[in-house]
Amino acid sequence: MDFDLGEQAAELRARLRALIAEHIAEDYLGAFTDDPADLDVAQRFCKTLADEGLLTVSWPAEYGGGGGSVWEQTVVREEMWAHHEPRGAQYMGLNWVGPAIMAFGSDAQKAQHLSAIAAGDVIWCQGFSEPDAGSDLAALSTKATPDGDGWRITGQKIWTSYAGMAQWCVLAARVGSGERHEGITMFLVPMDTAGITVRPIRSMLGPHHLNEVFFDDVWAGPEAVLGEVGEGWAVIRRALAHERVGIARYARCERLLSALGRELAPVWDGLPPAIPAQWARALIQVRVARLLAYRTVRAQETGEPPDVLASAARIAVTQCDQSVAELLFQAVEDGSLESGAGAPLHGAIEDHWRYAQAATVASGTIEVQRMIVSKALLGGRS
Amino acid sequence: MNPVLPDAAAEFGATAAKAFAALGGVHAARRAEEAPDVRGSEVAKALEALGIDEIDPRLDDDNLAAAAALCAEAGRVALPYPLVGVLLRGDDGPFAVVPDDRSRVDHGDLFESWRIATLDGRTGTASPAQQALGSRLGPFVADLASDGATDGPIGDVALHLTLTAWVVLGTSERAVELAVDHVTTRIQFGKPLSAFQAVQFQLADAAVAVAGLRELAHFTLWRLTVAGEAAMVDALALRVHAIDVARSVLRVCQQLHGAAGVCDEYDISVLARHVQPSLRLPCSAERAADELATAIGRDGFEGLFPHERAAP
Repeated sequence: MDFDLGEQAAELRARLRALIAEHIAEDYLGAFTDDPADLDVAQRFCKTLADEGLLTVSWPAEYGGGGGSVWEQTVVREEMWAHHEPRGAQYMGLNWVGPAIMAFGSDAQKAQHLSAIAAGDVIWCQGFSEPDAGSDLAALSTKATPDGDGWRITGQKIWTSYAGMAQWCVLAARVGSGERHEGITMFLVPMDTAGITVRPIRSMLGPHHLNEVFFDDVWAGPEAVLGEVGEGWAVIRRALAHERVGIARYARCERLLSALGRELAPVWDGLPPAIPAQWARALIQVRVARLLAYRTVRAQETGEPPDVLASAARIAVTQCDQSVAELLFQAVEDGSLESGAGAPLHGAIEDHWRYAQAATVASGTIEVQRMIVSKALLGGRS
Repeated sequence: MNPVLPDAAAEFGATAAKAFAALGGVHAARRAEEAPDVRGSEVAKALEALGIDEIDPRLDDDNLAAAAALCAEAGRVALPYPLVGVLLRGDDGPFAVVPDDRSRVDHGDLFESWRIATLDGRTGTASPAQQALGSRLGPFVADLASDGATDGPIGDVALHLTLTAWVVLGTSERAVELAVDHVTTRIQFGKPLSAFQAVQFQLADAAVAVAGLRELAHFTLWRLTVAGEAAMVDALALRVHAIDVARSVLRVCQQLHGAAGVCDEYDISVLARHVQPSLRLPCSAERAADELATAIGRDGFEGLFPHERAAP
């Protein structure tokens, strides 16, 4: 047994931390705060990472990427999330849109999109969820109707992150009158196409995260179809599998617990006795979540089916996020109600709590993960 | 990076499982309650046949992994024997980590002399002073009388805590399997209990908790081999987590058995009783968590960020 991620992973971690220390302020809370300047920081940092050859560490070398191992990809996920995702909205393009285009795209699509994503020039959003198709994504009803050599798309998407700032959307729509997975087709659509309307949804997560997107007779040419017509479910499966291990929430939890220990050091001995014990248990929970995530990555590496492991990891990671959020609040007591630079840990604790409330919903609810785990456990015996 | 138990250790565990099944599995624990000599005769012989005398977890990582796999199998059947103590035996007898205020040891009556240590660092030797408690939750727990303090190293404390957690892991894993068996065969309202989502979700949460405990148990073995004495904090963390997981998982698995969950005819009840000394000795989870918080603040905690605090 060996839990060392290896020398290359350690070097990559050190390089990323050095770049973050140089370009990202210690109190940076991500691109989606009330201050628009924070988005500019993220956009600039993506260019910096691209210049350093680090934006596409995980991409295969044949597409201009770093050909990084699954463990180097893990390090990127951990360091970015721990430091409030300084790639801002671009991680989605890097994490799964780019790889999906590599797997399913035409030569023209690859030529058009991959270099733009790799250069840190473009923000993508994903048009999956609909008002009546959330966890049950295969119930989606946005229609793509043939029109000449292309398509007319009409429908509504919801919970679409970054829709207000994205230049492109990967859109799932249904061709024909089939049900469930039948007819689902993926389209790559510029967000400035006539007929697209974005309406932000106010939420505790702050601006840009949640939007409704309305498609009203939106034209998409034949070149917009990603993969084969009617074969979109394979693309969605790939995207969701990526998202299941995608967010290393445990890394930010651990960074905040570390910072909390330093922040409260002068008053540590005067804390309610339950707090240090809960802090220790939270560190265990973070370690366990990380190890379950690593188990999933190991399965990817060895070709073991990762689905159930990924769901187990996701249950542990998202619950960890929420219990750490609550512990941090308990530790800072009424300071938890403050936000901004004057709040405990520059507002990072308050920010974390708000984000954590969506952890067990985003990218597939914890209930769906439990269904996957229990189905495997019962082996069809239910 | 390889988080998986080595093949040799896994195979040894499988061999041990067969040997324990030949003893009657959990039934050996029931028989030992009726006739405590079963421990020193049949169980000790089975362990001897498995080559326990040749395993020393202090020697190298292969020995440690084999010992861990053996402990997990023992936990799966509530093997009535002080396995961890015997694996860490010395010239003065088997080894036990005991509470600070009295030398209370599971199966303490089984050996004439013990090597003991407390979490706060005192070491010594002790021998049985009284009969075993004979209680339902500590049938073989006995108090020892001190034979004097020694200066011996306390390095085995981390190993003892870790291997005991592996026993608890085995018990917890088996509990989930028993619950799955029960809910898939027990019919109520015209269908198996497992058809109810409330049941499915409880099982999923228990399975994830146990899977996390197993990963942490593997990680802690690795820390023991690479970090030496600094791994004490990792062993404490594993102990806290093993107790936390076992308490909640056993509770759920008993609940899913209905009234059968508290009946000794069912293995789940015997497992839940016999694991108690491993959960309560040498101290509660709460005391261990307090110790852990202090240790992390002083020595740190391996991970992505530093956690030690400068002395005030």
